[in-house]
Amino acid sequence: MTIVVLAKQVPDPEALVEVRAGGTELQIEQKFATNLFDEYAIEEALRIKEKHGGKVTIITLGGPKATELLRTALAMGADDVLLLEDPAFLEGDGYATALTLSKAVATQGADLVLCGRQAIDDDRGEVGPMVAEFLGLPHVGAVMKLDIGDGAARAERAVEGGREVVEVTLPAVITAAKGLNEPRVPQVMGVMKAMRAQIPRTSPADLGLAPSDIGKAGSKLKIERYFTREKRAAVKFIEGTPDEQAAEAIRILADVERVV
Amino acid sequence: MEKLLVFVEAKGDEPRKATIELLSETRNLSDAGSFAVTAVGLGKISEHAIEKVLGYADRFVRITDGLLDDYTPEGYSEALAAYARQEDVRLVLGAATQAARDFLPRTAVLLGAGIASDVTAIGWADDPMTFVRPMYGGRVPSRCTFTGYPAVVSVRPNAFAVAPAGARRGEYVEWRAGVSPDRIKTRVLRVERESKGKIDLMEADSIVTGGRGMKAAENFALLEELAAALGGAVGASRSVVDAKWRDQDDQVGKSGKTVSPKLYIAAGLSGAIHHVMGMDTSGVILAINKDPNAIIFNYADYGIVGDVMEVVPAMTAELKKRTGR
Ligand SMILES: Cc1cc2nc3c(=O)[nH]c(=O)nc-3n(C[C@H](O)[C@H](O)[C@H](O)COP(=O)(O)OP(=O)(O)OC[C@H]3O[C@@H](n4cnc5c(N)ncnc54)[C@H](O)[C@@H]3O)c2cc1C
Ligand SMILES: Nc1ncnc2c1ncn2[C@@H]1O[C@H](COP(=O)(O)O)[C@@H](O)[C@H]1O
Repeated sequence: MTIVVLAKQVPDPEALVEVRAGGTELQIEQKFATNLFDEYAIEEALRIKEKHGGKVTIITLGGPKATELLRTALAMGADDVLLLEDPAFLEGDGYATALTLSKAVATQGADLVLCGRQAIDDDRGEVGPMVAEFLGLPHVGAVMKLDIGDGAARAERAVEGGREVVEVTLPAVITAAKGLNEPRVPQVMGVMKAMRAQIPRTSPADLGLAPSDIGKAGSKLKIERYFTREKRAAVKFIEGTPDEQAAEAIRILADVERVV
Repeated sequence: MEKLLVFVEAKGDEPRKATIELLSETRNLSDAGSFAVTAVGLGKISEHAIEKVLGYADRFVRITDGLLDDYTPEGYSEALAAYARQEDVRLVLGAATQAARDFLPRTAVLLGAGIASDVTAIGWADDPMTFVRPMYGGRVPSRCTFTGYPAVVSVRPNAFAVAPAGARRGEYVEWRAGVSPDRIKTRVLRVERESKGKIDLMEADSIVTGGRGMKAAENFALLEELAAALGGAVGASRSVVDAKWRDQDDQVGKSGKTVSPKLYIAAGLSGAIHHVMGMDTSGVILAINKDPNAIIFNYADYGIVGDVMEVVPAMTAELKKRTGR
């Protein structure tokens, strides 16, 4: 079983993000983490390998710091990693990013591609299904339970107001949601080994891509401006006994805010 | 005239509320003569739902094909892209429901088009058209444009207001998709629906979310009662989901759902950043917490310092008294 995981390094959810230069830039505190949903994808890949045998390769598109993500994945038990590192790769929209990643996946001959439901920086949730379409593969999105069988997988996904169980033939792309598993913590031995590992890199030319087709230049959706969200006015406390507080709250919601 | 295609999603016999919100917005554009609006339904869709949608669109096209009876991302994306290509549309739009966010990215690839997901505002008259989409868990809204068309857009529920159906009635058309059977590689084995009539979190007008301060699973009955009186839904913090008091589907926040109701009531939850990221764009926020220094008060319009076990039932009683229910 050849399993490829697409994982992205993102700013830590608690990192400070500030809008600068009249809305043309973001200044992001330099604190990074593996995208939450991608951790579930990595863990699931390792569990599948442990059960069915095979090889797990982690691919990430990012800057030099993204090696941290790859080392963590190696420490967890991944066999191989690949870093798509080139200024031309960066700041792509969903389309350009998925196009690039699909070319990298295609070099691996994967039976299964796992990725996260959504990256928590850009909040797009596009790349998984788009990679699948570029590769002509099926996908199952927002999966909470996955069983791999012979040439097919059974996946449980959340749909509005319920759950859906689907069967998909392999190769396929699966996007991971919370609930799929609990990611493991790397062991010391693994961490030591990962520290010494060589991180292979790939350039646009290696993937047969022109710089104008990828990253910011190749994007079909351009960000014009960032905004700072208007802050809510300071909280108004409602005083009194619980009954008085409740009555006043309902009065405000009904008569002032008109939301009930 | 430029064409807009709006994907129609139904829930049982009814079009989804989020679809009607989007159609309310696009109908204004059609009335103003800026765009022609075609609503598109795939697979099974009730007469009643079609009838409703015809009050909002110039055309309703039902794309028929046995392969569209069950939702599959492969089938839906191919059918919608084929129709969009034939009609040479400017935008393919859909409410950002789970299904639409699942298959619209594939539609974009098939059209060689850009996509903007989960947008909260559209500058229709801007040249080029602009789309606002929240990033970083709603902390940073960004304004985007497409470099070319067609383009694909999903719109967050509650971004636009529902307007009543108009007097004009669109025409009804059927179109055969010819989905390639080889393309469909997923098969729906079963769908487990929760209790009927439960309001979906992402579409609810009001949400009452409980945190660990609710103390036990059974105490969520208090929130159910308040939500029922409000006609809303019950959400949960991650701690509550991890404690198995509530289902994963109910989780609001970074690793759960992003919601944007008109009213959000946070009961007995602390207001961790991961939670706030999933509810910060709500209309009015009321927090109830026994700790006057709880972080959630920094994100709320109104605060009640008190015990949820006392305040919540009192609110339910007061609401029932007012509405006479
Ligand atoms: C990567 C990551 C992702 C995460 N994703 C999410 C997410 O999607 N959603 C989410 O919610 N969290 C998420 N979390 C967890 C989050 O950081 C918090 O741990 C969690 O939200 C806390 O839940 P809580 O507010 O219910 O509990 P607590 O923080 O324990 O707060 C309980 C609150 O209840 C109050 N209280 C207690 N008793 C009463 C009473 N009788 N009456 C009134 N108030 C009372 C207390 O004062 C306290 O403020 C995530 C964390 C991480 C690390
Ligand atoms: N730069 C990247 N490198 C590797 N994987 C990525 C990258 N961007 C997105 N992905 C994968 O695609 C998923 C969805 O991303 P997005 O569409 O950006 O929300 C993520 O959870 C990752 O698994």
